[in-house]
Amino acid sequence: MPILQLLSDIPVTGSTTDYAPIALQLFFAIGFIATMLIASGLIGPKRKTADKLENFASGIPSHGDARQPIAIKYFLVAILFVLFDVEVIFFYPYAVNFKGLGWTGFVEVILFTSFFIIGFIYIIKRGALNWEE
Amino acid sequence: MNALILSAVWGIILMFCSILVKNKKAIGYIAAFGLLTILIGNIAETYGTQITHYNIYPMLLLDRFGLFFNTIAILSVFIFVLLSLIEIRKTGKYEPEFYTLIFFVICGITILTSYQNLLMLFLGIEILSIPLYILTGSDKKNLKSNEASLKYFLMGAFSTGIMLLGIALIYGGTGTFNLQPGTHSVVGTYHGISFLEITGLIILMCAMAFKASVAPFHFWAPDVYDGAPTPVTSFMATIVKVTAFLAFFKLCEVRVTDTLTAVNWKMIFAVMIVATLFIGNITAIFQQSVKRMLAYSSIAQAGFMMYAIFSLNDVAKEGLLYYAMAYSLATIGLFATMSKIKDYSFEGYNGLAKKQPTLAATNAIFLLSLSGIPLTAGFFAKYYMLASVIKTGSYTWLVIVGVCFATISIYYYFRLIQAMYFKTGNPDTIDHEITPFFKNMLIVVAVFIVLLGAFPQLLLNWFYF
Amino acid sequence: MPVSYYIILASALFCIGVAGVLTRRNAIIVFMCIELMLNAVNLLLVAFSKMQNIATPPGSVSVGGSDAQIFVFFIMVVAAAEVSVGLAIIVMMYRNVHSIDINFLNRLKN
Repeated sequence: MPILQLLSDIPVTGSTTDYAPIALQLFFAIGFIATMLIASGLIGPKRKTADKLENFASGIPSHGDARQPIAIKYFLVAILFVLFDVEVIFFYPYAVNFKGLGWTGFVEVILFTSFFIIGFIYIIKRGALNWEE
Repeated sequence: MNALILSAVWGIILMFCSILVKNKKAIGYIAAFGLLTILIGNIAETYGTQITHYNIYPMLLLDRFGLFFNTIAILSVFIFVLLSLIEIRKTGKYEPEFYTLIFFVICGITILTSYQNLLMLFLGIEILSIPLYILTGSDKKNLKSNEASLKYFLMGAFSTGIMLLGIALIYGGTGTFNLQPGTHSVVGTYHGISFLEITGLIILMCAMAFKASVAPFHFWAPDVYDGAPTPVTSFMATIVKVTAFLAFFKLCEVRVTDTLTAVNWKMIFAVMIVATLFIGNITAIFQQSVKRMLAYSSIAQAGFMMYAIFSLNDVAKEGLLYYAMAYSLATIGLFATMSKIKDYSFEGYNGLAKKQPTLAATNAIFLLSLSGIPLTAGFFAKYYMLASVIKTGSYTWLVIVGVCFATISIYYYFRLIQAMYFKTGNPDTIDHEITPFFKNMLIVVAVFIVLLGAFPQLLLNWFYF
Repeated sequence: MPVSYYIILASALFCIGVAGVLTRRNAIIVFMCIELMLNAVNLLLVAFSKMQNIATPPGSVSVGGSDAQIFVFFIMVVAAAEVSVGLAIIVMMYRNVHSIDINFLNRLKN
């Protein structure tokens, strides 16, 4: 017996109308972008010169290959950012149950945060965010 | 809880030692002291003294079996650190971080020995693995170390994905992450067990077999063990692997007996055992490098540890503890000696008995123990494993297979003894690193192995008191 | 919507991930495929969470299915930790070999 057939009698949501607001938002988002693009294409001035085909880099003439090596510090900061950024996720369930968890929950969150601050202090002391080196 | 809290705290302390402690020589001793406090804390907890009485029941349950295993694991780490103090000092600027990662691995070990929830299994495995990815690559300029690290990382992350799929499907089938099975779902069942649960369990078992390097999921192990710096290999191949087995055992103990009506687990495990023993032993014979030979031998030993998971009874439980101790100590000793020898091939060991008689003698004892010669711990370790299968009453042919492969393994272990004792040569040893302390430690470990082999009840009596 | 749709979608995503890991040779892309596998599992867990929530009888003490959503958070966080370690390893590799092609990883074979 195929497994999926057996499971198909379990509904996940009451009805598809629950998704109506999302569909509406999606519709407006796409509609807004499409309208803006078409409108600017129709109304805006048109100049067809060779300069327009150049890459725009803050007004500075572009030179060299974009795939040249980047200083390792950028990677380091990016990696550390990913690490600290995602931890915020644990505040969501805490925020939802803020009142219910009371002071015990608060102490636990403080403990959790303090571990991160310890990690952050370590990073700074070890010189990982030091640019002038 | 003691060991978990202490190891996390000591990890953080060691992290800040890199900034605060100026005397580089002190760091190793600080770490050793930390391990000692964790060991004492854990033994104290075995007899009922706890730092906190925080209610962790649905997630972790600290039973005697887990606590006793913790003691064995922490003791092995302690011996490992004492034997590799000099090697770890060579990592230079990042020496405190090396110890930090080891402490975090101990955190993972304590979680894995007491988990009661699949979430904790996942977290424990990850806390165990992520520091190891870094440790494998700790020799930053060495291409082999880099490569081993990347390979281990990609394979490890892949197996994590597979493991999560298994856990998710089990949740779909039972509606709970608890290790103890909940109510079985009523739709889509096969012999009373949900389809999703069966699929999930099989996938989860594959992922666990991967972590424990059991065939057919062993392919990463030889390359990674060969490429990693020798102390890290020693750590990975012993303590970490044994812990993975314990987690595997805890999972099977509950879930396999629960789903035995639907899946013929015994047959699956029997096939895995034979495959692991075959691949490990036969490939080990043809290796020219001792490090690679030990990597394959660790796969072969994993095959023997699979016997515990096959039989899942009291003898298997005791046997797993005993095997963990016997196997870890012997392998740690062998790797510690290897890191003092420059040439890792069999020829590099030629004539070691003339130049360093203590090293050769202790190594001979370790090798005898690994091959399961009587009067060493390895003999009783294998004996308990095979006895557990006999006690189950079925698949007794597995015992014969086990004995055959144990006999084959004698060949490649004795080849090293032969190189050390009966061949002439001048081994290239790093003499100034072979301190009297190092030699004495090796002798202590060897004596301990012989004692365990002569009086096997020593360890197990302690377990019951 | 029946839960089987979600299972099909999640397994399709998971299989794309597995196929990518097994066939692609660029370490970063292999890595992205692993992330895809993890996110497929997240989707599956959320679908099961909703399924369990409906299966729980109303008025019972436990909030059915909420544990799966917490599990998803843990997967995300662990994945982030893995990403940071993995990228660090890939950067280290690139600095030594100037390539992230995993076909270069054959020094250990013999």
